[in-house]
Amino acid sequence: MPELSVAQPWAGANPSVQLEGVGVRFRVPEEKIPSLKEYLVHLLTRGVRYRHLWALDQIDLVVRPGETFGIVGRNGAGKSTLLKVIARVLRPTTGRVVVRGRVAPLLELGAGFHLDLTGEENIYLNGTLLGYGSKEIDARLSEVIEFAELEDFVHLPIRKYSTGMVARLGFSVATMYRPDVLILDEVLAVGDIRFQRKCLERIDSFRALGTTVLLVSHSLETLEQHCEHVAWLDAGHVQAVGPAAEIVQQYKDRLDRD
Amino acid sequence: MENVSHSEQPTVGAQQVYDSSQRPPPFVDEWRELYRYRDLVAHWSVRNVTIRYKRSILGILWTLIEPMVLMVVLTIVFSNLFKFANIAPFPVFLLSGLLMWDFFARASLHIIEENTVSQDLAQRIHVPRSAFALAAINAYLFNWALALIPLAIIMVILRQPFSPALVSLPFAMALTAVFTLGLSLTVATAAAFFSDIKLAYQALLAAVLYSTPIIYPLDIVPEKYQPLILLNPLTHLCRLVRDPIFYGTIAPSETWLIGGAISAASLLVGWWVFTHWRDAFDYQG
Repeated sequence: MPELSVAQPWAGANPSVQLEGVGVRFRVPEEKIPSLKEYLVHLLTRGVRYRHLWALDQIDLVVRPGETFGIVGRNGAGKSTLLKVIARVLRPTTGRVVVRGRVAPLLELGAGFHLDLTGEENIYLNGTLLGYGSKEIDARLSEVIEFAELEDFVHLPIRKYSTGMVARLGFSVATMYRPDVLILDEVLAVGDIRFQRKCLERIDSFRALGTTVLLVSHSLETLEQHCEHVAWLDAGHVQAVGPAAEIVQQYKDRLDRD
Repeated sequence: MENVSHSEQPTVGAQQVYDSSQRPPPFVDEWRELYRYRDLVAHWSVRNVTIRYKRSILGILWTLIEPMVLMVVLTIVFSNLFKFANIAPFPVFLLSGLLMWDFFARASLHIIEENTVSQDLAQRIHVPRSAFALAAINAYLFNWALALIPLAIIMVILRQPFSPALVSLPFAMALTAVFTLGLSLTVATAAAFFSDIKLAYQALLAAVLYSTPIIYPLDIVPEKYQPLILLNPLTHLCRLVRDPIFYGTIAPSETWLIGGAISAASLLVGWWVFTHWRDAFDYQG
């Protein structure tokens, strides 16, 4: 098997996202210990043993500003851990992560939504959870409602909303400002076909204005179609990184072999 | 039309750079993030107050009814029991302490119970977890303040005078809140790792209520046990709260010193434990 290249010659001076030797280690107790009593018993009798599991190991990646960067790999390859490290949800155990600008993770749409609260109340809850200030939300409120097409429902508790309406609201809040880095786990399936198209249009307009997009997908066509570069993750390592078509081909070959 | 609104989509603020190697220690980092997310704290506090009553007909009125019912029941039960102590009007004595206890017990349990939930949220998006704890404190502090209205009504009915010393009450409440926040953060952190901590804490709460001079005055405790009771931080905090309401005096300065020291220590310890172990929790597979 030829040595796969992990060098990234296109790396610019001020990359949008930069990972240097990033590792994330999880400590998994060998036996599940749910209570303090059992923990103490374990500690006294044979000690608590942990398995160290490197979800990510020595990851080096560079993502240029404005590019759409794909991530591919099997389940458990470390894709979501990678996104978490970039979205600042997890601090890397080793190495360094640098992200320039505001990150909008479209992973958890509608986080913190409460069913008994109105659409408008939820916009503020969800918006502030995503790191926007009240004033920033005030300034975009009517636009958020309009984009989600909820003008007539915004003062109703979202318990009364359909699933599609809730999803629309979540997307609309998460994208009320153009982020510098957008994180996408699979291409969004929000609402009906028409609204999905609207979402994609919005994402495209972000890209046109220089937003970097990180896209995790199992659909190789999607990656080839949208991404300039793709990284292939396998068991917490970067197996290969390079131009989308090339990496997708390598990944396909591997899938066919197995 | 839609396209127009997209391209107008503004960006906000100056470009921030996140560098994981430049992050300050968790103790400081959490504080900074909490400040950055202050609007979240505000909205989450209001949310906590709102959702509690959203689906009830009487709504926020429950805050007023609850202490009334509690007071009536407990006055009937205890005023005869502690008759010899000669505390009158007993309902004012009782309620001034009980409202504080109610705040302490509910807010701490809420934080401990919610912590697992907010852990879950914080494992999906970047958010300072202490925001949820602070929002819980705010919500219950608001409830406490509201519950002072029925207390005031009872005071009027029982002809208990309103003393100028009442100006010290907000400070006493603030110290109690700080103490509660610190303690809850500590227990909540432990409870996130071990599920039996929550049950142990609930059991302990009942025991602490009866070993704190809240429903009875300190004087009726036999003298040799009094130093033991004084080890309980809540004894001092309760005094700070109760003195201006019931005795019409500002609590002595040494009680304020003790109360202040206890609250500060509680917050520092709680903040350290919470921020220090927060990351360790994330890495449990």
